[in-house]
Amino acid sequence: MIGGLFIYNHKGEVLISRVYRDDIGRNAVDAFRVNVIHARQQVRSPVTNIARTSFFHVKRSNIWLAAATKQNVNAAMVFEFLYKMCDVMTAYFGKISEENVKNNFVLIYELLDEILDFGYPQNSETGALKTFITQQGIKSQHHSKEEQSQITSQVTGQIGWRREGIKYRRNELFLDVLESVNLLMSPQGQVLSAHVSGRVVMKSYLSGMPECKFGMNDKIVIDKQGKGGGSEDAAKSGKQSIAIDDCTFHQCVRLSKFDSERSISFIPPDGEYELMRYRTTKDIILPFRVIPLVREVGRTKLEVKVVIKSNFKSSLLAQKIEVRVPTPLNTSGVQLICMKGKAKYKASENAIVWKIKRMAGMKESQISAEIELLPTNDKKKWARPPISMNFEVPFAPSGLKVRYLKVFEPKLNYSDHDVIKWVRYIGRSGIYETRC
Amino acid sequence: MPYLGGEETVRELRRALSNPNVQSDQLRYRNTILKVIRAMSQGVDMSGLFSEMVKACATVDVVQKKLVYVFLCSYAALNPELSLLVINTLRKDCQDPNPMVRSLALRNMTNLRLPSLVEYVEQPLAAGLRDRAACVRRVAVLGWAKLHNLQASSEIDAAVVNELYSLLRDPDPVVMVNCLRALEEILKDEGGVAINKPITHHLLNRLKECDIWGQCQVLRVLQRYRPQSEDELFDILSLLDASLVSPHPPIMAATLSLFLSLCSGQPAVSLAALERVRGPLLAACGSGSREMRFTALCHIQLLLRSIPGLMGAHYKRFFCGYAEPAYIKQRKMQVLVELVNDENVAMLLDELKGYCTDVNAETAQAAITAIGRIGRSYSDRCLEILTGLLGLKQDHITSAVVQTMRDLVWVCPQCSDTVCFALEGCEETLQDSQGRQALLWLLGVYGERVSSAPYTLEVFIDGVRSEASLGVKMELLTATMRLFLCRPAETQDMLGRLLHYCIEEETDMCVRDQALLYYRLLHCGIEETRKVLQGRRSDPSLGVLIGRPAEPVSQWARSFNTLEPLRQGSIETESVSRGSPEHTMFDPKPNADLSNTLDCSRIEKVHSECVRCPTIPRCSPQSLQAAMQLVNIQTLAFTPPQTLPWRVYLYTHTCLDDAPHSTLILGELLYTGEEPQKAEVHKGSADGGVGAEGIEDDM
Repeated sequence: MIGGLFIYNHKGEVLISRVYRDDIGRNAVDAFRVNVIHARQQVRSPVTNIARTSFFHVKRSNIWLAAATKQNVNAAMVFEFLYKMCDVMTAYFGKISEENVKNNFVLIYELLDEILDFGYPQNSETGALKTFITQQGIKSQHHSKEEQSQITSQVTGQIGWRREGIKYRRNELFLDVLESVNLLMSPQGQVLSAHVSGRVVMKSYLSGMPECKFGMNDKIVIDKQGKGGGSEDAAKSGKQSIAIDDCTFHQCVRLSKFDSERSISFIPPDGEYELMRYRTTKDIILPFRVIPLVREVGRTKLEVKVVIKSNFKSSLLAQKIEVRVPTPLNTSGVQLICMKGKAKYKASENAIVWKIKRMAGMKESQISAEIELLPTNDKKKWARPPISMNFEVPFAPSGLKVRYLKVFEPKLNYSDHDVIKWVRYIGRSGIYETRC
Repeated sequence: MPYLGGEETVRELRRALSNPNVQSDQLRYRNTILKVIRAMSQGVDMSGLFSEMVKACATVDVVQKKLVYVFLCSYAALNPELSLLVINTLRKDCQDPNPMVRSLALRNMTNLRLPSLVEYVEQPLAAGLRDRAACVRRVAVLGWAKLHNLQASSEIDAAVVNELYSLLRDPDPVVMVNCLRALEEILKDEGGVAINKPITHHLLNRLKECDIWGQCQVLRVLQRYRPQSEDELFDILSLLDASLVSPHPPIMAATLSLFLSLCSGQPAVSLAALERVRGPLLAACGSGSREMRFTALCHIQLLLRSIPGLMGAHYKRFFCGYAEPAYIKQRKMQVLVELVNDENVAMLLDELKGYCTDVNAETAQAAITAIGRIGRSYSDRCLEILTGLLGLKQDHITSAVVQTMRDLVWVCPQCSDTVCFALEGCEETLQDSQGRQALLWLLGVYGERVSSAPYTLEVFIDGVRSEASLGVKMELLTATMRLFLCRPAETQDMLGRLLHYCIEEETDMCVRDQALLYYRLLHCGIEETRKVLQGRRSDPSLGVLIGRPAEPVSQWARSFNTLEPLRQGSIETESVSRGSPEHTMFDPKPNADLSNTLDCSRIEKVHSECVRCPTIPRCSPQSLQAAMQLVNIQTLAFTPPQTLPWRVYLYTHTCLDDAPHSTLILGELLYTGEEPQKAEVHKGSADGGVGAEGIEDDM
């Protein structure tokens, strides 16, 4: 259990401090600041022990969130809680920044009051929380009868994430498959590690209490169906199915059904939420291949050539491509030639940044640079950081495809066909590095 | 934080709060209160406004109420009398038709933390337990825990405890979990909430309804349950199987922890469970958030203590990303060292070599140390890399390499030739005292094989006046003495100068005493000196101790999924900086979990008894050691095989589940070589509170 929660800015000033249990004294706030935020050296561990109190911290932009406890708690849970806390705050006021925290500190105190009681996590679903939180200055002082009954039904009813009596004129559904593809490649082009972590984010504007069913090309399901339908069918669909390593669902998904039949059925919350989160490591489509060539010409010159190859259907367009080629610290000047896009040497970041707005699939582009170095006495060898890359592609690198999303609402008279559905795939780069 | 102008602010706010115009205007009133809270959270002492704030509490505006409660709860302890006034408003709110207001009032009533208010709080709390809104019951249940915390001495009414037990069957899962939490705290002295068969089955059935936090709590409480039959055990295990592979790391860890405690009698089942969590654990290692990655890595280290081969095939998952924080990189390297085998050694070393030039000096040093560890089994490859690193001529790398080589040579004397060859010339790059100490030690021990040793030492001796580090001076004395023993002609003159300086001019007593000791030793003759200084040579048989035996799961099962695994590593990394190998090298790791609880003052009794054993048929030390490990007796150290008398130091410790302290027994096995064989066991038993037991060893 958590004894206290503190939020600091980058200077170590306390923005929020909430103590839940008596064993955390007031000096705990300062102890963390002095020992961790103001410490000279780098952070040595996300868990710090100061005077028999353990501090767990996470950092979001330049804000520190710290949870203090005296007990021997379950570390994974405290971290998970801090992440959840961040999620909730982001859902309420967007990015966690000093400005936002200061402007919303009353809201944060309210949240802290609801989420934790006596140091035990209570209610952490953004949707359900919204009824309890009186958003500053917006809500009127009296809760109407209707709202009161909502609270009661919320807390007693089985469905904590959706209130009753939601009505829309147009029933709409937006489904985003957002993936981030991570890669670590050796200079020889060997994949050292690659994985995709993806999220299915849904925005639903549906009336009543609809029952939804979501289907994707999950290998296990397809194989199962294949067995039933015949071998030919299995062979056809087998190619396009993907193996999901692990996945997590929003609490609304009936896990028992997923375990038994691997079907994803749920009553969705209203508005935007994350339906599932998954990870795959097999058969990943790597959208780009980076081929580096670094040659040291004497002590004061370096020749770098980087070729990027796009490896997807030529009808698709990748966007916001950025290649970052690190340069040594003693670089004095850089001459750049690139076939496409714009390249610039940024001395402050010690890197050549090469930006391409758009690039179609199955294309190739290259940049060559001559880097002049200042002769130094420093014998330190240049560590050659990896070349990193950013991009956005309009498909899912894991190969995930949404097969269907069916909506059933037996009580109201709209059917699956009346719902307007939008599906979008976005593949972004996570840590996409190639060593050189 | 000192806040200038604090008093001025307080005065201004007081004026505003008591202004009737402000009070009548809802919005202005609220904004003024907002200012008070803001100042409070910035650290200004606002306790002076307590009475004004108490007045502001009587309002219908929920927002304002919440704000005032935040204030009141922070300052109530300073104003117990005035707080009495708030109680009335709070009690009235407990009757409000709106469940939100009721729960708010109840929560803040208990958050005031004033023992004097307990009598007023009990009645609404009892009513709250029977409230029809679940959110009120949630608060009321925890309220009792807070009350108990406030006055731990007084007993909570047995009727309340019974009611809490019955609320375990509440339809709301959060109420149920809160009941568990409250009972755990209230009944702490009795060992927490009673976990019997019906309760266990009830909790297990409702596990799925709870959120992550609830599940963790339930799983943790259930650890105390002991199934009555094997069938029941397996029913529970198969029920929990889904959560064992849960994608939420906290649930997965809590379930595994429960598995281990349930199956403590069945090692095969626990091993199967460990195999099963491999996937989720690896996934947690690759999770997006670094803190979770770190936690997972720490727990993997724990698992590897029992099943070294668990992650063997997945070693690539532990390769470091460039931008990862140093603490993750260092943990990953510690894991990588454990995973090395014949197939992946080349790849692994290649990878580690890449980390040696990391920007972060600590990471670079950790990588070099890791290579050194691998060097104990693959010395040629590793030495090649280490020698190559010396060519970079960077001071922190060279220092780490020399230290690593020193440690390596102690364990694998066969590498000494390569090391001696590599040492030439690296004294120029060495800057820090640790590295120079290591170099001096190597020069002292292998001086006869490093041709330039006397010249290097001479440079050190010439600069001894400006030497700041105590350790370097001490090491220099010893090294020069050792070198003198093997190359007297070249060294005699400089040894004289060094001893003269240390005895006559040195101000530090340690150095001076050491020098005097050597000086007097030399008076006793060269043979005597040789005996003292070259007595301790590294011993190839120490290699036996390197391969750590797989520990039984029960060794660490209790610390799984707590803070301990996260702490342990940090202690380990600190102890990495070290002196000469003969002093620090071989603390066998299994000891680590005991060392922090052991305390000399607690050694209650030392048995010194002599047990003679009957003749044992001839057997090799290795097989003897293996046999002893089977019965959980570990070897601490032993003398080389051919020496007489031959001694082994052994230890064993209890790892009972419920004992608050464990007992450590140290023993010495002595073989004098006469016929019949004799073995003597001295036992020192250290424990806390339990009382020393003279456990008879049947050796």
